[in-house]
Amino acid sequence: MKKFFSLSLILVLVLGLSFTVGAQELERKVVSDSLIGEIGEYGGEYVISLTSAPQTFNYYGAIDWSTFSIMTNVLDSLVEANPVTKEIEPGLAKSWEYSDDGTTVTLNLRKGVKWSDDEPFNADDVIFTFNNLTLNPNAEANEVSRYEIEGEMVEFTKVDEYTVEVNLPAPYGPFMKILSQAPIAPEHKLAKHLDPENPGAINEAWSTGTELSEIVGTGPFTIDQYSVDQKLVLKRNPNSWRYDSEGNQLPYVDQLVYVFVQNSEVQLAQFQAGEIDQLTISGKDFPMLKQQEVDGADFKVLTGKPVNPTPSPTHLSFNFDIADKELREAFRTLEFREAMAHLIDRQRIIDDVYNTLAIESGMPVVPTNKAFYNPEIEELRRDFNLEKARTILDDLGYEDTDGDGIRELADGEDFEFTLTTAVDSQDRVDIASLLKDNLEEVGIKVNLNLIKGSLVFDKALAGEFESMVMAFGNQPDPQFRKAIWQPGRALYYWHLSTMGENDQPVMENMFDWEKEIFEMFEKGQVTMEHSARREYYDRWQLINAQKLPVIFITKGMDLSAVQDNVGNYYVNDNGIIVGVNYTVYKK
Amino acid sequence: MMNYILRRFLYMIPLMILISILSFTVIKLQPGEFGSQYFSNPRVSPETVENLRARLGLDQPTYMQYLTWVKGIVTEGDFGYSFAYKRPVAELIWERMGWTVVVAGSTILFTWVLAIPIGIFSATHKYSIFDYVFTFIGFIGISVPNFFMALLLMYLVLSMGGTEVGGLFSQQYIGAPWSIAKVIDLLKHIWIPLIAIGTAGMAGILRQMRGNLLDILGEQYVQTARAKGLNENVVIYKHAVRNAINPLISMFGMQLPKLISGTIISAIVLNLPTMGPFFYDALINQDQYLVMTFLMFSAFMMLIGNLIADLLLALVDPRIRLD
Repeated sequence: MKKFFSLSLILVLVLGLSFTVGAQELERKVVSDSLIGEIGEYGGEYVISLTSAPQTFNYYGAIDWSTFSIMTNVLDSLVEANPVTKEIEPGLAKSWEYSDDGTTVTLNLRKGVKWSDDEPFNADDVIFTFNNLTLNPNAEANEVSRYEIEGEMVEFTKVDEYTVEVNLPAPYGPFMKILSQAPIAPEHKLAKHLDPENPGAINEAWSTGTELSEIVGTGPFTIDQYSVDQKLVLKRNPNSWRYDSEGNQLPYVDQLVYVFVQNSEVQLAQFQAGEIDQLTISGKDFPMLKQQEVDGADFKVLTGKPVNPTPSPTHLSFNFDIADKELREAFRTLEFREAMAHLIDRQRIIDDVYNTLAIESGMPVVPTNKAFYNPEIEELRRDFNLEKARTILDDLGYEDTDGDGIRELADGEDFEFTLTTAVDSQDRVDIASLLKDNLEEVGIKVNLNLIKGSLVFDKALAGEFESMVMAFGNQPDPQFRKAIWQPGRALYYWHLSTMGENDQPVMENMFDWEKEIFEMFEKGQVTMEHSARREYYDRWQLINAQKLPVIFITKGMDLSAVQDNVGNYYVNDNGIIVGVNYTVYKK
Repeated sequence: MMNYILRRFLYMIPLMILISILSFTVIKLQPGEFGSQYFSNPRVSPETVENLRARLGLDQPTYMQYLTWVKGIVTEGDFGYSFAYKRPVAELIWERMGWTVVVAGSTILFTWVLAIPIGIFSATHKYSIFDYVFTFIGFIGISVPNFFMALLLMYLVLSMGGTEVGGLFSQQYIGAPWSIAKVIDLLKHIWIPLIAIGTAGMAGILRQMRGNLLDILGEQYVQTARAKGLNENVVIYKHAVRNAINPLISMFGMQLPKLISGTIISAIVLNLPTMGPFFYDALINQDQYLVMTFLMFSAFMMLIGNLIADLLLALVDPRIRLD
């Protein structure tokens, strides 16, 4: 293991033109060129939309996508994942070192940073945030489970005003990635909301009814004005510590405006009317918008390789613990799942369901993820082949004995099961329908069960399903998705009997290959060196490809439409969409 | 009269209790609950969801949840706490009341102010070309769903180069201080919801008015009035319309709850900052106390609307006695 896991590669210059503010000089961050196509101009407003208004302004107070999206403009994390390359870069911590045994991390905080109300930022804020928000089990959007390693909690201690020491119970590979998703909140504004009598009180801090001047941050923007359910205006934070390579303070735009538009058709209409500057679009809207662009509309439509967790890649799963003995036998047989894999017409799904704007899913790491993707899985993907599927099913002894066009199980019953999916997700419904057709083509009867999205998870985790078309978002580090993909963990829903009391896996109920996957995740978690971790996760992807715990289907591409007068929103040389709120500018 | 009003208010108490029990039961019969939506999020461990349920009291039996809620209302006037927003329910509803009343109020006004005269005109000019035109428009209004009409209107505006689609204001006027320009911008936006939501209601009232008036115009006393040489306007407005309008007053009472709860889907489609979409989200998230308060409020408005209609009826029609 390297002695210093230092950041020579991504070391960001902290030169700074020395103008002194108070006692402490600001250690600036010069933003990576990967986010800036060209030096921008100041001024203007950048209008984007969200489908619902925020439930709160407290990042840790509610699990709400709108809150997360908005508050990441206001608050900063200690380190940040580059939005394009996903590499870890300095944030509020300008550098960090690991101890030799990999269990102590020393974080050196950026000096001279001030909150937007001019109060200084220091180590107390960091300690406050982790103790009372991030690691507070009563905070609704806490991140406790990520900081628990082998049953023990990570500990944060203040060394001096600008140094924080982190003690890990064991070496923990993805630690920096986890830190990048924990924004630091101001102690001087939030401490008064702590109430020893009522531990849940912290969730009520910074609610949508709060005086907006109470909500301060270190980020590029601060909240300026909120019109309930209609619009939220953020303005430039004068104390922002991000700069471009020519020494201009970021952001470029004066205002970042979120408008709340619940209906996607209306969002689209408002984008076409020029009311919204940038919109993430779906595959079905792509042809129309592209046509308008070609016809000379004032916007452009961008397609990028998938890099983000969403759109979530779809997969097909079978319940290994289903009560019906015959079906359970079939679902647990690898050859049966292989036959099912041969019935997935990915090309047709990509063409028909996604208007060609999707790729074949990884297992499940996205191919653009250079750090973890294992290309070997591509060779193992089963092609769409009805004949092969028929042969396999024949060989397994599932034959149509009574001539009604449906194969019979060993007990003489028709081979028939339900396929559950979320009715509010059009792509999943379409995929399920195509699957049903192909399965019936080879003599297996499928009943579609379309239910509300949030209930799909209830059903999955209660084991009340036979097969399912489901989707989980990708993450840059497989360890983040341990809860889903490691056998026996909380969301390993297709094999619930591996899940014991108190999150303890039941090893004796696992297949041998599941035990191996389990091993790989355990090792990947406590290894610090990337190349070693990569080997473990390569192996995991390979097992997924061979043994098909679930059958991965497709991953939608990143699609975005943006007005022509927005600068620094583009597709880079690697085919990835670049567009960050603090580097875009108005032409 | 006061005695009658008091009695009606007393009757409302058992009624409201029954309605609340019924509503709460229906909410609880829905599969899943507030915590369910979080299972899809791997950021949230199942223990966190359990913890959340305990804190929100969702682990208690249903009747206890109900009684706690009622107790809060009776003893402290507290209608509960929104799970999603972490704020008192009453506060959240109040925040959204203003625009809701403006949109619904102007829609109702638009509907009635147009429907009554057109209804009278159609009845007095029965089987004329105007009657057929209005009847045709009326049936289109009834048969085209509001939300579809809204989408259609927005499409038309957009394809004619307009930018006023969705919402009540252009983005730059939201939150801006009032000015002439802002009012003009409001007018440019609000006509779409007025027409989309208003036409359906208008058609109903129009047909009702026409039918009633035609009935009355066939009555003998109208014949008598005409026979004794009264001016046709007096016959129609003083004698016929006054009688024909009575059933419409009852209908008017029913419109009150629509002020807050009507036209949810249209409001979502039109992106209106009203209670409808907010209520819809609360229902989807099973934010139960928010839904309950909303339903109770809506039921209360219905009861009040009926009471007002009855009082108005007594005022308009001297044959009706309340006591």
